[in-house]
Formats: sequence, C-alpha cells, structure tokens
Amino acid sequence: MSINFKINDIPVYAEAGEMISDVAARFGIDIPTLCHDPKVKSYGACGMCVIEAKGGGKLLRSCSTEVNERTEGMEYYTETPRVIQARKVALELLMTDHTGDCRPPCMLACPAETDCQGYVGMIANGMDAEAVRLVMEKIPLPASIGRVCPHPCEKQCRRGQLDESVSIAFLKRYVADKNLALGLEEAAKVYQKPVSSTGKKVAIIGGGPAGLTAATQLAGMGHDVTIYEQMPKMGGMLRYGIPEYRLPKAVLDQEIAVIEALGVKAKTGVQIGKDIAFETIRKENDAVIVAIGAWTSSKMRVPGEDLKGVLGGIDFLRDVALGNAPAIGNSVAICGGGNTAMDACRTAVRVGAKDVYTLYRRTRAEMPAEDIEICEAEEEGVVFKFLCNPVEIIGDENGKVVSVKVQKMELGEPDASGRRSPVPVEGAFEIIPVDTVIMAIGQGVNPAGIDGLELTRKNTFVADEQTFATSVPGVFACGDDTNKGPGIAVAAIGEAQKAAKAVDQYLRTGKVEAPKAAFYSKRKLSDDQVKELYAHRKEEPSDRVQMAHTHAEARKNNFKEYMHGFTREEAQQEAARCLECGCMDYFECKLINYANRYDIDPDRFGGYRHDRQMKTAGKYFVRDVDKCVLCGLCARTCEEITGKTILGLVGRGFDTIVQPEMGMPLSQTECLGCGLCVSVCPTGALVEISALDKQVPVKETVKDAKCVMCQAGCDVQVASCGSRVTRVLPKKGKGQDVLCVRGRFEMPKLIAVTDQVAAAKEAMASMDASKVAILVGTTCSNQQVDAILAIAQDVAFVASNSLNKVIEEGRQKASATYAAVRNKKAAEGEDLAVGFNQNGVAVRGIGAISAKEADMLAKGDVELLIAFGEDLSNLTISDSVRVVALKAQI
Amino acid sequence: MEKEFCCTCGSKSDLTLLEPVLAKYASVPGSLITILQHAQDIYGYLPTDVLWHVAEKTGIKPAKVLGVATFYTQFRFKPVGKYLILLCQGTACHVNGAKLVEAALEEELGIKDGDTTDDGLFSLKTVACLGCCSLSPVMMINDETYGSLTPSKAKEIIRELRGKQA
Amino acid sequence: MSKFLIKVGQGSCGIAAGAGKVYDVLNEKVSGNPEVTLSITGCIGMCYLEPIVDVYEGDARRTYCKADEKFALALAEAVASGNLDADALKAYEIAEEDKDYLRKQTRIALRHCGNINPESIEEYMAADGYQALTKVLKTMTPDDVIEVIKTSGLAGRGGAGFPTWFKWNAAKSSPGEQKYLICNADEGDPGAFMDRAVIESDPHNLIEGMLIGAYAIGASEAVVYVRAEYPLAIVRLTKAIEQAEKAGFLGENILGTGFSCKMRIKAGAGAFVCGEETALIESLEGQRGMPRLKPPFPAQKGYWQKPSNINNVETFANVAWILLHGGEAFAAMGTEDSKGTKVFALTGKIRKGGLVEIPMGKTLRDVIFDIGGGIKNDAEFKAVQMGGPSGGCIPADLLDTVIDYKKLGATGAIMGSGGMVVMDESTCMVDMARFFLDFTTKESCGKCVHCRLGTKRLHEILTRIVEGEGREGDIENLEELCTTVKDGALCGLGQTAPNPVLTTIRYFRHEYEAHIRDKKCPAGNCKTLIHFTIDADKCKGCTLCARQCPVDAIAGKVKEAHVIDADKCIKCGKCFESCKFGAIVKD
Repeated sequence: MSINFKINDIPVYAEAGEMISDVAARFGIDIPTLCHDPKVKSYGACGMCVIEAKGGGKLLRSCSTEVNERTEGMEYYTETPRVIQARKVALELLMTDHTGDCRPPCMLACPAETDCQGYVGMIANGMDAEAVRLVMEKIPLPASIGRVCPHPCEKQCRRGQLDESVSIAFLKRYVADKNLALGLEEAAKVYQKPVSSTGKKVAIIGGGPAGLTAATQLAGMGHDVTIYEQMPKMGGMLRYGIPEYRLPKAVLDQEIAVIEALGVKAKTGVQIGKDIAFETIRKENDAVIVAIGAWTSSKMRVPGEDLKGVLGGIDFLRDVALGNAPAIGNSVAICGGGNTAMDACRTAVRVGAKDVYTLYRRTRAEMPAEDIEICEAEEEGVVFKFLCNPVEIIGDENGKVVSVKVQKMELGEPDASGRRSPVPVEGAFEIIPVDTVIMAIGQGVNPAGIDGLELTRKNTFVADEQTFATSVPGVFACGDDTNKGPGIAVAAIGEAQKAAKAVDQYLRTGKVEAPKAAFYSKRKLSDDQVKELYAHRKEEPSDRVQMAHTHAEARKNNFKEYMHGFTREEAQQEAARCLECGCMDYFECKLINYANRYDIDPDRFGGYRHDRQMKTAGKYFVRDVDKCVLCGLCARTCEEITGKTILGLVGRGFDTIVQPEMGMPLSQTECLGCGLCVSVCPTGALVEISALDKQVPVKETVKDAKCVMCQAGCDVQVASCGSRVTRVLPKKGKGQDVLCVRGRFEMPKLIAVTDQVAAAKEAMASMDASKVAILVGTTCSNQQVDAILAIAQDVAFVASNSLNKVIEEGRQKASATYAAVRNKKAAEGEDLAVGFNQNGVAVRGIGAISAKEADMLAKGDVELLIAFGEDLSNLTISDSVRVVALKAQI
Repeated sequence: MEKEFCCTCGSKSDLTLLEPVLAKYASVPGSLITILQHAQDIYGYLPTDVLWHVAEKTGIKPAKVLGVATFYTQFRFKPVGKYLILLCQGTACHVNGAKLVEAALEEELGIKDGDTTDDGLFSLKTVACLGCCSLSPVMMINDETYGSLTPSKAKEIIRELRGKQA
Repeated sequence: MSKFLIKVGQGSCGIAAGAGKVYDVLNEKVSGNPEVTLSITGCIGMCYLEPIVDVYEGDARRTYCKADEKFALALAEAVASGNLDADALKAYEIAEEDKDYLRKQTRIALRHCGNINPESIEEYMAADGYQALTKVLKTMTPDDVIEVIKTSGLAGRGGAGFPTWFKWNAAKSSPGEQKYLICNADEGDPGAFMDRAVIESDPHNLIEGMLIGAYAIGASEAVVYVRAEYPLAIVRLTKAIEQAEKAGFLGENILGTGFSCKMRIKAGAGAFVCGEETALIESLEGQRGMPRLKPPFPAQKGYWQKPSNINNVETFANVAWILLHGGEAFAAMGTEDSKGTKVFALTGKIRKGGLVEIPMGKTLRDVIFDIGGGIKNDAEFKAVQMGGPSGGCIPADLLDTVIDYKKLGATGAIMGSGGMVVMDESTCMVDMARFFLDFTTKESCGKCVHCRLGTKRLHEILTRIVEGEGREGDIENLEELCTTVKDGALCGLGQTAPNPVLTTIRYFRHEYEAHIRDKKCPAGNCKTLIHFTIDADKCKGCTLCARQCPVDAIAGKVKEAHVIDADKCIKCGKCFESCKFGAIVKD
C-alpha cells in the first residue's frame, strides 16, 4: 500500500522504507546532496538535503528520512528560507577548507572570460576544430583579437612564474586562421543558425568589436539584428584604428563575413543622428545597443595645436586605412605612449617618413604600450625621446608646422595610478624640426546624434557595469563609449557579451536584472609554491615558442603582415606548456554548482585551510585530498558495492582524511580500478585521467554505447568532446552500474588510438600520397599499426626506425637462434614480416628503414614525414620535409 | 595538531607475541578495538606491520583497521617514552591553572604536547579528563596519579623520576 | 568479630591522595592483632578531605580525614591500646561542619559508596543487595517492573533526561529474539566523575540495576562500556561480575527463574563522541565512533542491529533501590516533572569539592554554598558551568534556579551528567567558551559539515577574540553560526557544542564586548590582553620580582624602582604573585 504526502505542494506517493530524497528524485524534484547516492546506505553528513516539514520543527535530512505510516499526509518543503540558510552556511563552511582553482587565473583575467586553458589544452591535443568553437563562444573575431590583443590573460599565466607564460593570444590566432582557411562556408559552421526567430528587432549602432559581438550573440539567440555603421565597412577600431601590418583587413573581412552568415544585417555608411534619427531607430526596434566607440582624438591643449600638419593619432590611422594617407613629409613627431602611438609611429615609417620621433613624458618603463610593440618600433628606426613633454608647436608664416618645442622632464612621486608623475626640469627645452605632429595621447567619445542618454563627466555614456543598461529604458551601451572610456578590444567584447545577455532578458521578460556574480574557489600562489606544485613538469621543453616574423628591414617599408603565425607543431608544442591550473572536474563538480546556486558569501568564515599538496596521479585517476569534502561516498561505495574497502577515513574531526589502506599507493592495493569512487565523487578530489594526452577540462557530450573490451558488452556511456573521446562512464541506472577496469579506463585509450591516426590523416589531407613517408615506432600497439596501414596504401614508404635498435639488441642479448634468424634476414635487406604488439616485439608487416628510404628523407624526395613514437635524432631529414611527430598508443 | 598517521612500514615486530590475543578475539565480531588495545599494551604503540597482521588474521579490511586505529586518541603510532605523562585539561583542571602546569612541563622536558624526549624517558600528552577533578590540576604518569599540582611541583616530580633513572 | 574494623577509602582519587600508603602502613602494623580487621571501602565523595579512613567500634563509626603515614601510626597504636581518644588521633577526626556535607545529602545512587567494601559481595548483600533482583525475578513480570519505574518517574541521568520506562518499554516491545542491555559508562564530560565513583565503590549495585533492566526488556546479554581512562573501575567491576556469577545472580537460569543473562565489559579507547548512544554502539561493533542516523533508534535496531537499550550508570544505580522501596518512594522526592535525586560532581573554585546527591528541587545555591561551602579563599562567585561541553554557564543572579531538567534547560545550560564546575571572578567566560570549543573541535567525529567545520570556525573566532583581534560583528557571527550548527548537526555533540558559546554570550555579553572593543579581559585571564606594570611609588627595589621573572623582563638597580619590559613579558604573573609590596599592577 503506498503512502501519499506532498513535497512543495506536489502530491507524491511512495512505498514504506523509501527515503524522501529518492521519492523527490523520482518525481523530478531536485534536492541537492553531496553525500547521498541511492546505490549505498544513507550517511547524512553534508546537511545539503535538509527539508522542512510544514509547521516547522527540526530540519530533516531527506536522504535518511524514511517514508512510513506517519508520513501519510505530511507536507514537506525543500526551498524554505531556513532550509536555504542551512545549505548556504554548509557550503560556506565547506569552502573555508577547499583548496583549489575552479577556473584558471588566465580565464579569470580575461575581460571576456574566454576559457583559455580550454582551447590551449585542445590545441595541444590537436583538437583545433573544437578549440576554435570554444573561443568563438565568447569572441566572434578570434583571428583579429588573436593578433592585436595585449593579452591580460598571459600576465596572470602561472607558467610565467615558472619560466615564461604560455603564448595564449597567438594560439587563439592559430586555430582561427585554420578555421578561416577552410573557406567561408565551412568556417561559418562554427555558429549554428538559430532554430527559430523571436520576432524581436534589435538595432546596434556601431559595427566595431563590441557591436559585432553583441550582434553575433543576439542573432544566435534568434533575434533580428541590424548593425548601423557610419564608416564604409564594419570593424571599427580593428579596421580603422589598427594598421594593416598588425591586422590585415582581409582577415577582418573574412571574420565579419562569418558573422553576417549568421543572419546579421548591416547598413554601412549610415550615421545615426544624421542619416537616421536616433528617435526613429528607438521606435523601430524593440531594443538598441549603442557601441559607437571612441573616435575623437584628445587635444594636447598646447599652442599651435591647430596648425596645418598637426593630426589626431586616430584620425591619421583612419585616413591611412581608408587609403588616403595624408602627406606627412620626412620628419614626424608622435606624442603619446600607448598602443595607438605605436601604431601611428610605425605607420608613419611605412608611409615613408624618414625621421620618426615618439615623445613621451615619462620613461620607457611607464609606457602603457606593449613592450614588444616598443621593441619592434625601435627595430624599425623609430627614435624614442623619453622625458619629453611637447609644450608648443611652432608654425611658419602660412600656418604650417615646422618644429615642436619640448620641455625636458624628470620623474617625481607616483600619482594615483601608481605611475611616477613627470616634473618639468626648469628651463630645459629642445626644438625638434618636424613636418608633421601626430597627437596620440588619448581618445574621447563623440556622443552627437545619440541624444537623451546620461553622460559621464568624460562625455561617455553612463551604463550599468553588469547589464550595460543606460538611463533610457530599452537602450544599452557597451564598448569604448561607456563609463571609463576606451580600453582594449577584448574588454569591449566582454562588455558586449553582458549587454547581449541583458538585452535578451529584456526582450523576453521586459525586466533587466544584473546576473549573480559567479563564485570560484581560487588561490594566489607565490613563485616558490608554483615551482613546488608543478615540479613534476620540469623535464619538458620550457622556453616559449617564438613566432616566426619578418625582420625589421624587410617589414618597415610595407604594410604586409610580419607575424607569420604558428605551424601545427609549434602550436602543439607551445600549448603543451600549459600547467593545467584549472580544476579538471569543473564541468561536473557539485560543490561549485551549489555554491553558485545558493549565492554563498565565501569570506564569511575564514580560518585555517588544509594545503597538504598530496595530489597523487595514479594510472587511471588523480587524487587531491585538499578538494575532498569528506562525504565518504568513495569509501562507502568501495565497501558496500565492490566489497574491496580500499579507501577509508583516517583520523578524526577537522583533520580527517580519505586514504587508501595503510596509506599505500593505490597501485599497490587490491584496487579493481572500477572507477566507482571517481564516479560518485562530487568534487575534484577524484578525477579520471581523460583519454586526451593533455588533460583539459572540457564540456562533454555523452552517448550510450556498448563496451567493446570483451564479449559481455556492458552498457556504457562514451563521453567525448567534439571528435575526441575523453572518458567511458557507467550508464546511470537502477543497477549497480559498475564497470570493470578495462571498460572504464582501458577502452577510452583504445578509442583514442584512432585520434593519432586521425591527426595523421588530417596532415596528409590535400597532399599527394606519394610525397608522404611514415615511420612507425616499436611501441605502437597492433590496433594502431592496423589503423596506420589502412591509411598508408600509396604512401612513399612505411618503415620503422627504432626497429634497428630492436634487431641490434636481438643480436646482442637474445638467444642464439633468435639473433641468428633476425640478423641474417635483416643483413640481407630482406623485407621482414615485422610488425608490433602490445609490448613492442616486432611481429607484423613493417621492415626497418632501408638505406634507400633514409636517403629519400635526407634529399627531401618526400614533403611530409609522419612519425609515430619515433626518435628521429639519428636520421638526417632535409629542411624541406615537414615532420609531424605523433604518439605511439600503447 | 594534525595527528598524521605516518606508516612505519619499516617496522619489524615480533608478531608471535600477538598470537594469544588473536586466538581469543580474532573470530569474535566487533572486537577490533579490544585487539588493538592489547596490541598497544604489548608493543607500546601500533606498528604498521602489526596493523597489517591484525587485518589479515581478523579478516577486517586494512582500511577499516587504520580507520579505527586513527579514530581513538588512546592509540599511538610512535613508541612512547618510559614514562607516559597524561596531563589533564578538563574543565576543573583548566580553571585551576592546568595551562601553567603544561607550560612548566614543556619547559622542563623541552618537548611539546604529543612529543617524546630524545632520551626516550618522557612522553607528554594532554587529555580531556581523568575524572579526579577534585585534585585538579592533575596528571597521571604510567597509572600513578599526581594531584593538586603547581608548576614547580610538576617540575619536582619530573626531576624525581629523572633522578631514579640516573 | 574483632573489636575494631578499619576501612580505608580507596577510590582512585583517594589512592592518588595517598590512601594506598596509609593502607600499607596500617596493614603492616595491625595484621597480627586479632582485635582489628583492616578492610577497604570505595569513595565516599568528600574529595576535599581525602584520604579518608573510617574506624568502627561496634556500631560507633568515626571518620578521619586527610590521613597520612603519621595518622596511620597513631591509629595503629590507638587500636593496639584499645582507646581511640588519643590526641594525635583527634587532630584527624572529621570536623563537625564537614559532617553536614553528607548529612545534607539524600543518597540513593551513592547509598553504599564509601560504606561497603566494593570487592565483597557479602557486604553488598548485607546491605539488602540483590533482594530487589530476587523480588523482580521471582514475583514480577517485565511489565510490572516497567510500571514501577514509570511510577518512580526515573529519567535518564546521562543528561538527556529521557523517561527510563519509555526507553525500556520501547526496547521490550520491539520484535526480536536477541536483545541487548548496554550501560553507558563512557563519562566523557570533563569535570564529571560520579559514574567512576559508583563503579569503583558499588559495582554490584550497577550489576543488579542492569539485570533488572535486562529482565524488563528481555535482554540476554548486558555490556558495560567503560572509558579506558578508568582502569580501577574496570578491575573492580570485573571482580564483581565474577562474584555475581559465582553467587548465581548472573549467567544461566538465574536463581532458578529461567531468566539468563551474561554480562561483559568493553573498554572505550578515548572518544568523547562515544558518549552518544549510536556512536557507542558503533564502537562496541569495533567501528569508528561515528553516530548513526536516527530513526531507527537503538530500541528498534541497536547493537548488531538488534533491539538494544542504553542507560547511564547513575540511572541504573537507582533501579535496585526503586524496585526495593517502590516507585512512589522515589517519586515523592524531586519536583513536578523531575523525580528522585541527582548526583553532582562539584569542582572548580569550590571550597568543598566532591560528590553531592540531592533530591531534584533543591537550588544551585543549596548545592554550591550550603553543601559546597562557597568559593575557595572567599573569592566572588561568578558562574557555574553545568553539562560540560554540551552545557552552559549559569551566572550568579540565577543561583536560585531550581535543579530540574526543564528549569535548568530554560537557562540555556542542561542538567548534563552532573558536572558542576564553579568559577570565580578570575575565570574569563570568553576563554571558557573557547576552551569548550577547543574540546568539541578535537572530539567531533568529523562526519557532519556543520559540526566538523562549524566548531572549528567558532573556535577560531573565539581564539581571535581572546587574543585581542576581535572585530565588530563577531558576536552576531558567532550567534548565527551557533544556531546553524545546532540546526544542521546530526548528533548530540554537534547539536549542543554551541551551548557554551550561546550561554556565555547571553549572560556575559559585556565580557565579549570588552575583549572586542576595549581589548581588555575583565577577568585578567587572557594573556594577550593583560599588562603588568610596576607602580614606582610602591616599588622598594628589593629585586625579588626581577629574580622570579623567567624571561628577565624586569630591570632596575637595588633599592630603585624597577620597570617591566612589555615586549619581553610573557604575562606568567610570577612577579605579581611574588611582590610583597603590591607594587605590581595587573590590568
């Protein structure tokens, strides 16, 4: 007989003996829990599943409140204020002793919160298609931003505390270029077309990075988006501010085309407030986003500023970009120390000026421009005059610039921004004869035409920092034209994202509410801590891959792009340097999910926090006790289901810790490797080692499958990211859903073998097979050798370089018969029926590399050499041969 | 103070000493704590190879044995000195100045709570309550109870015991 | 029958105070003399007078206190000469005023303690021992027994105050062949030692009480879970069990009535949480002492998932008396909702510390001042801590609170096991709260988030306040965290751990504020907040303090005013104690 009662006023029924939390789950009512799993007995430790019975009384743990006759007619509530408070405090307490980085420092430093560790990790695994898709979730112009961004992410990259930070921006460019190289139709597949239109119209004023990002996001959400751009083409600062040699317009055009392919309409050459009234735009659209950027060049307010030959920095760059570069004569002085000044002086060199001076009031150390930009400008002949402040521009009789008078300065006390403020040296001046003066000391916003919006003192639009709503309902503003004014492009993109989310919410609900700030557990590591934590990564190549670029002499008199981008091998080698700071369990961790759901205040209870640094990587998974919340699930499942009881609680109270038996390493215990403990662990304390070579936290898609490791064919779920398999999981279900070690941990690696071969196929794509050679290492498994032979039908040759070593060893240490048979045949150059199996003994179909074949490599008769797990140091390979080094899959 | 269980796997104990205890209790369910108590009486502490041996003989999983051994404060994983000083920090003792006695003992022995003197003579351990609160502040040294202590009296007792050893 | 019977009080504290030596000297002197029999007894509960020796001359009983070797020699001579009036002996006789200590008590649980020889079943039976058991087994049904206990109103003496009949009835009525009766002798509360006294001094009373309980609920096995720190109690109880078995009161077919019950002892291993009944059961099953989820309650699924009933030592110690004298006699004592007597362990800054058993209904003032003799060296009473780490501090103005479960509960403290630690103005209440949280943090089993982490953070906040780094809002933070820990914790330990904080805030909020705002410790106890300075006018320059100072933080020439270097000073207070001219100022 079933017992009827209510949860959240929903009538439910259950048999006696069933736990209320399981009843709720059956009826789709989500009660949070960290320590309960229907597969094992209730434990009641985490206090998350508490519910309140009507009429108050003590909070009940729903995981252990059994349904019985007294439950008949009871009414329980799972989200009352008291319940929420109890869960909130539980989470806040848990967070006081949780040591880890939910998200990596690079991502948290990026104004657009791009998942840097995500796409860098993917690139290291050769998952370029997945990587570009991940980037473009946040940045619709990755090729452009990859070229120009001053990369605040790299400044926070912890590798920088070890040796040099990871080259994140250039890696972004690498995958973006590869995507564009597929052609518009293929490249546009990154964005799925919205399935249905919301029928809402959004007007975006300004087609710069901010406008384009907002347009992409809103179009993706199904809104009807139109961009109004006053310039002949879209791109804003990327097109008319940043010179060609840093960002070729062709690249920008391709990226904008991808956005337009998503259904974004654009009306260029249309100035709002002149061609169309702002009022009309507001009436004809359900929402408006103002993203007009900051295009007025700030005045220096010095005498002679209006003489002929005095140009605004941004105006000069725009004219050059429009193709009507002004005549600037032979000697030019650029005032200012930021990136715009660098663009201006290097553009001046390219336009033909002989002497180009950059005047800056402070010294090089205080210059806001990227250090690399300053070095490259110097290489191109720009003369930097530091501690020089232009005080007067002198003109001739018909008002044309002839020289600029500068006041010599020296550095005083640091000002509010921390930069030491310059103090004039009495009477120390210098007159520099110039034909042109370019003022690049800052930019301002010209709000003309967009009337009715509240402005700040600096003439920028006032916009809410979270929703970017302005003072006028339905009108939002983002990018360089808001609040503090111009910033870096990716900051504008970050703002545009938030604006788009707010607009979408406004269009659907009419309301505008700031989203809750996401909470991440994070920590600041000193240099020593970083060295200690990543000591195990010491042996890899540590120095940063420098991108090939044209030397100064060849690049200074033209606008051709001088940075050549990464090759695939360079990208993979650079990406491999990532220290994987973010937690691998981020997309599965319950703790961070609940922490954000209950909007916890993490600093409420501080206090001592364990930092045992006992992160141990076994063969199949990684154990990190400092992320453990002591829910006991791992120990309990290991005891109650498999009966092995390998993991157990050690110690008591606050210092309790989960450890394998007697503190032994897991590999020396009777651990079955079933991975049950990993599946039930609610946090990053137990995380599988994914089948990807480079570990990276990725969003996975899961599909049902059958295990292939033996004829039992158990039900499994294969988790993958794009084309690559990451994990094999037990199928969530009523049964014990336990897998054996082969299905749970071996199978992913087997499927992964095809990844290496897929990478080889990709490298060979669009190439004449006869120009390809393949070398196969002796540690490749049978499956891998079969897969290689399958794609190597008409290649130049398939051989093994390391086989010689095997034969040599055979000659020395193997029994007489073995050596005799092997070296006789090999000596005669006979094609050995040789292949490889699990432990590397040669058994099938591939011979040692012959002299002829080695010669082909030396002379470069082949264009591409693919090597699987081979040591190529003893071979001479001509430079013309492109080498793709891949892994041997054991 | 984190009571880390550091596995003394190098320990080589004479496991035959444990036979009589195991003969009596190994098959009796729920007697793990009693066995460990006897083992500690025999070896003075719980060496890791003894824990393995107990697990093997009783059929209780090693992880469980370690879990129980590290839960109860009576068990220790390092040999203790000839004289085990249990200094009471119960409510009555605390109120009557047990903290000052503790400071005096640490000063005299040169060790902190939970450690053993280098000469292996004394081990100092603070406990929650010995149950003779009327004599507070109180300490027990190897089942001998010393009550109504003052810092100087405590030092006196240590010197006396040390004297006996010399 | 010899003329003189000498009984030396041999409870653990008595032995610690020197009773062992007194016994040895007497034994050596009088063993030859037939006129004298030397025997021992348990702990009478007058700790401040230990060691205590009673001398019986026929029925006349004289009690001697603070006995030492000198006394032993004097007594040996006196009995040899047959005359107890020797002056040397008189000096040790108990003072009239101290006789009241026992007279003002009503002893049921402790009735035999300090009177009979704990190692002699004969003496126990002579004091109508095992008569109740015989009456129960021979003439009463389990329901009759439960009825008597119900009328008596006996409630749990371990601290929860749950009606004993209800627990017995629940265990009796839950199905199952094999049932267990368990005695909780873990007595983890610091400051409580009445269970130890009962087991060491009157083990048979415990056995008889447990057997009656076993019969009532139909249990065939009884276990006594004694904490490891009570070795003497285990020795005496083991002896008593052997004697009871030999005398046919324990084991198969007791007294031929067909009721069988065996009894054994299980030693705890140092875990306060095992005072909680389900953690105790886990420990009995050789597991980590992690409390179980309730329901099911032990009465349904306890030891080895069989119906089990758990009561505290003191609860059982009343059972035999009740069955002998009838429930009404017990119910006549106490208040409307708390019946019978309660034993308190009076310690701390009390003049006469010891065991006090009084009927419910008396007030705290009666126990502390009337019986306990007030505060040591006539200091100012400040508060009494009741219920140990799960209890609270009751201030002076509530001294007239009536001792009963409800009324004590209303103060925020709890009856608890009976630990009663008296505090004077030199005790800092914030430090007391910190002390108890330091205790519960170490004793928490670590299972529940609210308790494992909640007590730790409470302790850290209190430590911050005590070390002068308290911040505005700390008190509110403490209060909120306390309520949530109480609400979220699974077992008694976690649910009551915040009580010491809540009660000290409720009654001594001004002390918290003094620590936080003025960085002052009114009780002059918290080291970082007290400062020692020398009053130049009063200082005679006798250099005594300078010589006393362990870290030579005091400078000054002979005959000249000395100065304390505040940085070096470790606030040990030695100078303050040693200065004869009151020149050292402590604020």
